[in-house]
Amino acid sequence: MLTFFVIIPVFIAVFLFVFSSAKTARILAIGFQAALTVWAFYLLLLCREAEVVTAVGDYAGVLGIFLRADSLAAAFVLLTSVIFLVLSIYALHEDNSRLFWFLLFLLEGALIGLFLTRDFFNIFVLVEVSTVVVAILLMYDRKRRNMAAGMKFLMVNIIVMQFYLFGLGYLYMLTGVLDMEAAASVIQTLNPRDLALPYALIMTSIAAKCSLLPLLTWLPKVNTMPGARSSIAAIMSGLHIKSGIYLFIRFQEVFGGMASDLFLVIGVLTAIAGVALALTQTDIKLILAYSTVAQVGLIITGLSVGSGYSYMGALFHVINHAIFKVALFLGAGMIIRLYQTRDIRNIRGLWRGSRMISIATVMAIFGIIGAPFFNGSVSKYLLGASVSGALEWVIILINLGTILVFLKYAAMFFGTPPEKLETSSAWRCKLGAILGLGALCLGLGLFGEQAIAFIFNAQVSVDALGYLEKSLIFAASLGVGFVLYRYVLAKRLDSARPILQRLKALDFGFGVLCASMGVFFAVVLVVVGVWGA
Amino acid sequence: MNWLELFPVALFFISFFGLLIGKTVIKSIVYILLMQTSVILFWLMLGARHGTAPPIVQDAAYLANLDTMADPLPQALMLTAIIIGVSVIAINITMLNALFRKYHTADWKTLDAMAREQEDNDS
Repeated sequence: MLTFFVIIPVFIAVFLFVFSSAKTARILAIGFQAALTVWAFYLLLLCREAEVVTAVGDYAGVLGIFLRADSLAAAFVLLTSVIFLVLSIYALHEDNSRLFWFLLFLLEGALIGLFLTRDFFNIFVLVEVSTVVVAILLMYDRKRRNMAAGMKFLMVNIIVMQFYLFGLGYLYMLTGVLDMEAAASVIQTLNPRDLALPYALIMTSIAAKCSLLPLLTWLPKVNTMPGARSSIAAIMSGLHIKSGIYLFIRFQEVFGGMASDLFLVIGVLTAIAGVALALTQTDIKLILAYSTVAQVGLIITGLSVGSGYSYMGALFHVINHAIFKVALFLGAGMIIRLYQTRDIRNIRGLWRGSRMISIATVMAIFGIIGAPFFNGSVSKYLLGASVSGALEWVIILINLGTILVFLKYAAMFFGTPPEKLETSSAWRCKLGAILGLGALCLGLGLFGEQAIAFIFNAQVSVDALGYLEKSLIFAASLGVGFVLYRYVLAKRLDSARPILQRLKALDFGFGVLCASMGVFFAVVLVVVGVWGA
Repeated sequence: MNWLELFPVALFFISFFGLLIGKTVIKSIVYILLMQTSVILFWLMLGARHGTAPPIVQDAAYLANLDTMADPLPQALMLTAIIIGVSVIAINITMLNALFRKYHTADWKTLDAMAREQEDNDS
């Protein structure tokens, strides 16, 4: 049964490759995609009872290759199919070639396969497939593409996958299996110090996929490549990076939560760096991309805390972040088309210019900054629920940083719009898509508890008093953020201070990117090898 | 551990070092190729850890030699890895071709400067 979740997107891809010139075919493809989404919903229901397992090739036992869907995998499959449904509606009227459609749905198949497989080598293959597909999609528009950034993206990803394969070889040498669950049970009997080398190699590749601290600079640059369409940027930031986080969750399970303190620190540092970099940008796509880095840092922090509520909150935040970040990126794409610029300083009066885009964007912003009743507030409440002391304050501060970033972003709503802003009737699909995502932000916020119970099959109780407290903290941070932004940052950020300019134009050479990989690898190796935890 | 097994490990890190100091895109691609080769060599040596007899069971007597047989799994996986490696390198070279036509250089530093200039003009 599970194989069909991989095959159907590939089928849609081929179907669109043949018929994409006809509009009815595209509508039909949306129908297929909707059916897939419903089926993913059904899979999630099935997974509440028991894990769904399909043995590919009919070999039983550890020798076989399995597709397994537990609640986590099914949740990611559902997320992927929902996002692709929204994207296919969004891109319905776009003038895309058949190759674009083909690659888009091929990517969906690769991602769903990645979420379902439990075989180490399958993961390698599917990650390589998705990397190549994404690289081609990013460079899709011939005229305006930034070849240098695309080249770096492709090469960095290939190199980290060599790290992965090398680490996998060591792991295979030590455990003798390629199945995740079998490997996990063997690893329990091994000394953590022996695992230092494979662990460091594999984690380097996964950290690069999630763009953690020393490796973060390749992602935002790629996201904002002028040639990359906003729908592709939305996939990169909303879904492709989640595949890295998914692998992080799985491999932490396999290795029994090794080096979680290290990843706690790295997560916090990544979040701080993401916020600082996002604040200095003036390009709206770059602001969104660096804010993704910040949120990923927050998620990794929550996952590394390890105790129930924070972990659950981080998982829920993965889903939430995908939804609001895709809404923001798609909205940004429409705004760029409207104003013909990506510079936030030149985008003014969106509220009067286009009410619908504004409403959807505001809802997504409320989600990401954790305003009460929106989805971000629930996941951020849970993230902060089981931590105490300094870490609690750090999470509040990171959220304050996010608020600052989006106060800067929200400046586009005010002021007077330029004379002519052309909207066309073909935009109805796009508006519907982003408004739907905005509504989803609100819905998941209002029914957060039920959503978590349904998606992850886990009970959490959102304490009304605690939620109120968080809401008050949020209101306070919003006030502080507003004052801070209005009277301190707004003037300084756009000034020509050399250090800010350097942060803004952060663009490392290829050698430095590789060196950051080496540094990360060495740090993990030393931490696990010396302390053995 | 056989001392020969250290060879691919050394090759891996040497080629990684090459990536750190490589000045042109072509050299970086060559180092990636070298890196892939070292990983494949490493896996193949894993397969031959216990023995090098081909893992084909011809008769019952052959089953007695199970311990000296090579592990068949690594070479099967590496066949896939080689195919993926070749196609990935092919895409790299195709992109390098397009890159060179556009910027007329394959030097990382010049490329970065030109791309940055283009980005500033666009936004």
